[in-house]
Amino acid sequence: MNKWTIAGAATLALSCSTALAQDLKFAPGEDSRFNWQSLEDFKAKYDLQGQRLTIFGPWLSSDEDLFESVVAYFVEATGADVDYTGSDSFEQQIVIDAQSGSAPNIAIFPQPGLAANLAAQGYLTSLGEETETWVKENYAAGDSWASFGTYVGKDGTEAFYGFPYKADLKSLVWYVPDNFEDAGYEIPETMEDLKALTEQIVADGATPWCIGLGDGGATGWPATDWVEDMMLRTQPPEVYDQWVTNEIPFNDERVVAAIDEFGWFARNSDFVAGGAEAVTSTDFRESPTGLFSSPPRCYLHRQASFIPSFFPEGTELGVDADFFYFPAYAEKDLGTPVLGGGTLFAVTKDSEAARAFIEFLKTPIAHEIWMAQSSFLTPFKGANLEAYANDPLKKQGEILTSATTFRFDGSDLMPGRIGAGAFWTGMVDYVGGKSAKDVADGIQREWDAIKK
Amino acid sequence: MALSQTTAAPAASESGFASALTTFVTALAVMAAGLIASIAVAVAVYAAFDFVLPYTKLLNALLVMVLGVAACFGYFWSSNKLLDTIYPASGAQIVSNITKANAIRPWLFLGPALIVVGIYLVYPVVNSVILSFHGPNGEAWVGTRNYEWLAQDPAFRESVRNNILWLIVVPAAATFIGLIAAALTDRISWGNIAKSLIFMPMAISFVGASVIWKFIYDYRPAGEAQIGLLNAIVTGLGGNPQAWITVPFWNNFFLMVVLIWIQTGFAMVILSAALRGIPEETIEAAVIDGASPFQIFYKIKVPQIWSTIAVVWTTITILVLKVFDIVLAMTNGQWGTQVLANYMFDWMFRGLDFGRASTIALVIMVMVAPIMVWNIREARKGIR
Amino acid sequence: MSTVVGARPALTWAVHIAVFVLVAIWTIPTLGILISSFRDKDQIVTSGWWTALAPAERNLVVRAAAPDDAIEENGRWVLRGNVFGEISGSVSAFGVSIQRPTEFSAGDTAETRDGELITIGENGDYAISYPERPEGARGQRLFVTSQEPPKFTTDNYETVLFSEGIGQSFINTLTVTIPATVIPILIAAYAAYALAWMEFPGRALLLATIVGLIVVPLQMALIPLLRLYNDIGVGKSFIGIWLAHTGFGLPLAIYLLRNYIAGLPREILESARVDGASDFEIFRKIILPLSFPALASFAIFQFLWVWNDLLVATVFLGNNEQQLVMTGRLRELLGSRGGNWEILSASAFVAIVVPIIVFFALQRYLVRGLLAGSVKGG
Repeated sequence: MNKWTIAGAATLALSCSTALAQDLKFAPGEDSRFNWQSLEDFKAKYDLQGQRLTIFGPWLSSDEDLFESVVAYFVEATGADVDYTGSDSFEQQIVIDAQSGSAPNIAIFPQPGLAANLAAQGYLTSLGEETETWVKENYAAGDSWASFGTYVGKDGTEAFYGFPYKADLKSLVWYVPDNFEDAGYEIPETMEDLKALTEQIVADGATPWCIGLGDGGATGWPATDWVEDMMLRTQPPEVYDQWVTNEIPFNDERVVAAIDEFGWFARNSDFVAGGAEAVTSTDFRESPTGLFSSPPRCYLHRQASFIPSFFPEGTELGVDADFFYFPAYAEKDLGTPVLGGGTLFAVTKDSEAARAFIEFLKTPIAHEIWMAQSSFLTPFKGANLEAYANDPLKKQGEILTSATTFRFDGSDLMPGRIGAGAFWTGMVDYVGGKSAKDVADGIQREWDAIKK
Repeated sequence: MALSQTTAAPAASESGFASALTTFVTALAVMAAGLIASIAVAVAVYAAFDFVLPYTKLLNALLVMVLGVAACFGYFWSSNKLLDTIYPASGAQIVSNITKANAIRPWLFLGPALIVVGIYLVYPVVNSVILSFHGPNGEAWVGTRNYEWLAQDPAFRESVRNNILWLIVVPAAATFIGLIAAALTDRISWGNIAKSLIFMPMAISFVGASVIWKFIYDYRPAGEAQIGLLNAIVTGLGGNPQAWITVPFWNNFFLMVVLIWIQTGFAMVILSAALRGIPEETIEAAVIDGASPFQIFYKIKVPQIWSTIAVVWTTITILVLKVFDIVLAMTNGQWGTQVLANYMFDWMFRGLDFGRASTIALVIMVMVAPIMVWNIREARKGIR
Repeated sequence: MSTVVGARPALTWAVHIAVFVLVAIWTIPTLGILISSFRDKDQIVTSGWWTALAPAERNLVVRAAAPDDAIEENGRWVLRGNVFGEISGSVSAFGVSIQRPTEFSAGDTAETRDGELITIGENGDYAISYPERPEGARGQRLFVTSQEPPKFTTDNYETVLFSEGIGQSFINTLTVTIPATVIPILIAAYAAYALAWMEFPGRALLLATIVGLIVVPLQMALIPLLRLYNDIGVGKSFIGIWLAHTGFGLPLAIYLLRNYIAGLPREILESARVDGASDFEIFRKIILPLSFPALASFAIFQFLWVWNDLLVATVFLGNNEQQLVMTGRLRELLGSRGGNWEILSASAFVAIVVPIIVFFALQRYLVRGLLAGSVKGG
């Protein structure tokens, strides 16, 4: 009975995945913003007719549609059958699938930490030095990007496993230009200016910041981004790297100082909407709506590039809301550090089609198709900046490609129990009134516990 | 049962290792034959239908479903038939045949259950025991290091403390409220409607339940419009809004309320049935003696349904030990609300340490052991 | 019993009130989400569901039409329009600067720094008059305080019910749920009978073991089992998930059914035995019909559990169109970052419908079912 059911399911699965070869969003050869030549070249190299490629990732609904619109070009070029599935419990499921031997060909990791863990257990296939070099040469801040995909494998040697594709930008402050205009505020160029502006807004009788750390079971993560940004603005990037790998302990005074930098904003009841007590319990999705209320609950909101999807319906980016770079201290001379995130494509079950797909991600067209739609940034220098769908996206793309220092979200690089556990809860405790030193001590203790 | 004991007596006299082995082997053979036969027939029918009928998802699903159930029945029928053929209840050796058949039959009845339980529960338990002595990826042998780590882990102690709280509060509250609800709803005309409404949360998934309770516990800073009912009441009475699920210690109780809300319906339905089963005469006698309704309830009714209360209590207790969805969805163990099941989940998927996760799983199993032992003794008393 | 209550009317009232309070407490959370599911996405997060019926005061920020569209009237350039979109209401106050959004009352005329005259009527009609011909596509911002009537919508349900693939998921869920409910009952009933009424060595120990297995944490079993499935070629398939649910539900089923079957009157079984009925016949002709209430009640619980399950389904079934179940589909609707309360509340109700129907259909058996040994002698 089993075999029959399986056979049935397999035929069905095949028939449904061919349906994925949908219409191409942009007709090849038409729009000059796109590098069609790269698609032609790629097409000439591969013929995967009849081969099946399974991809598993965290993207759902609109992101899923967008990704599939890119995949359609791969299908068109190679003739392979591609089956993408998304899940919001990706982190758990990929572990179960990898451990039990039902892994997809390619997994899309939202966090390098998880990919590193799986690599260490031997579930990922190395992408090879050639791809690593390609990333180093073709991505802005290529060495940092390459290092996010480089892990220690089961055999104890380092290799390149995760191909970065699709980036997020975290160092952004969102504001409403009209509110700034009405109140006569200027966009701050330095951290000193930003702090002065914060005090200015308070002096004018309003509240400067909306900060919300709430996210159900994941409450606290937005604060980790703040602390990471502060680390990059108070310490050289090398210190940041040592911090995320625990070469310097979490309770190092430099880290404690960065936490207190965040506290300057978040623990002052005059500076945050609802007062400091409201910070941990305000949902991060609802937090930015304070910018748009009348009268405004706040003027500034620091959050990553994805946040506009939680702005009120009908908000037009660039008109009703805009962003500026979360500035660096003028006095510290650390350049313009940028904090970001990104998804990594790793081969979890090797096949010719899986390799070809990674090659496909190296073509400019694979980036441009998504750039021309929405919610996609890329550090790939070969992709045409003009392809971005609108000005705000293009501006973000420029921040990404012109960053002097780019660092990945540190909490994603730390082991899961820290970066998605102790660090979150520690930040909640910190905002709740515990001292930065105590919080950092606690996180370091937890880190020691997992090393044992 | 008296009868079966008399027939079993001769078997005991000729018992020995050899006969036990014969019984075992025969039972296994009959079981296998029954299983193979029924599955083979089911597959053959499926193939035939599949050949004739056009492929549609629903039809195929229905067919597989019917065949699966039929194969189950087929197994019990055919293995039983086979046993009767091998040891016919007639002829010269009728007594010996019946004895042998009676020794084998229980195993035929139990067979599928034992196989399924063996694969789906015993195997994972054994696997967990082995893993608990291994490192994160189940390869390096670490001896008892996971247990040592657990013994000094503060988060583990917190989970145990919370779990004990849950174990005391939730079954007690759900059973008690369920009992009250059962007693009261049985006395009024619209009792069935009331029962259905109280039972309704049982039909809601845990994910749904956590959304529902968001609209109760939600917190907005003072001065803003509250969308959580509890805070709206508190501010309406002139108090300050609270972020309920972050209040140390008490937040545990706010999470427990959700499970009590779900489980009370279960307790009520079962206890209500038990209350109705109490013979009228005992109550009438008490009424004649002039007992008040409260006395009747506590002194006569409750003692009579004591064993049902125990079943309800046990069932909810077990559920409490395994519950993690509510904690995961609402706090994920933050703010001092960690419980063992969620802590295990955490180490498994966030810590990727199967050794430690297995160790915690074993602790959960050990914690419930006393309750199960007590229950089984009760059950056995019931038989005798 | 009724005589007892009838004799004391005060007590009867107390009972009615007590039940009413209990029912109210138990229903209010669900009522909250039911009302929320008909509310507008923005309103859900800005006001409590209990205020849904009251007119709401809202502070709107509206962008007026583009200045380019202004028309010349009596030497000034005038722009007209209405501040309300789909929801209409009545304006009580307005302002032209974010710092003072309620500076003017409806009907007043405000003058801006640039000499524009702005007036907004109670019905939301606005007129902006410029001294010079204005330019630009970006409209003036108007801040309006308005009273709005309650608004309900079925959009949330439309999103859930007509989302792509929901019908397929519904069928998938049924395909999972029905066999996963029926198979464990069949297997458990035979086992429960053997454990209750058949004499064999090791019976008590076996019972203890099976019951003890109720507590095995599910999460622990997932990886070893899926690995086993992959090794023997079952993989992610319906047959795999049926058996998994069977395995996880079996101990509780055996525990509950054994309690019930053991409580059946002994005389019936013994007289059947005397008549020469075999165990198989006794089971089929006597035990099965008699324990129908218990079977039905377990069926309800197993059905509810399987229907609402997400964890087992995500592990043992694929995420593709042909295998995705309802809970998984609803989860997908929430998107990668969640937080769509309007979808969550509507989908909670969509998911609840079938279990409620099943519950009402089998409810009368529940009353008699699951009685364990409690009615012995009754």
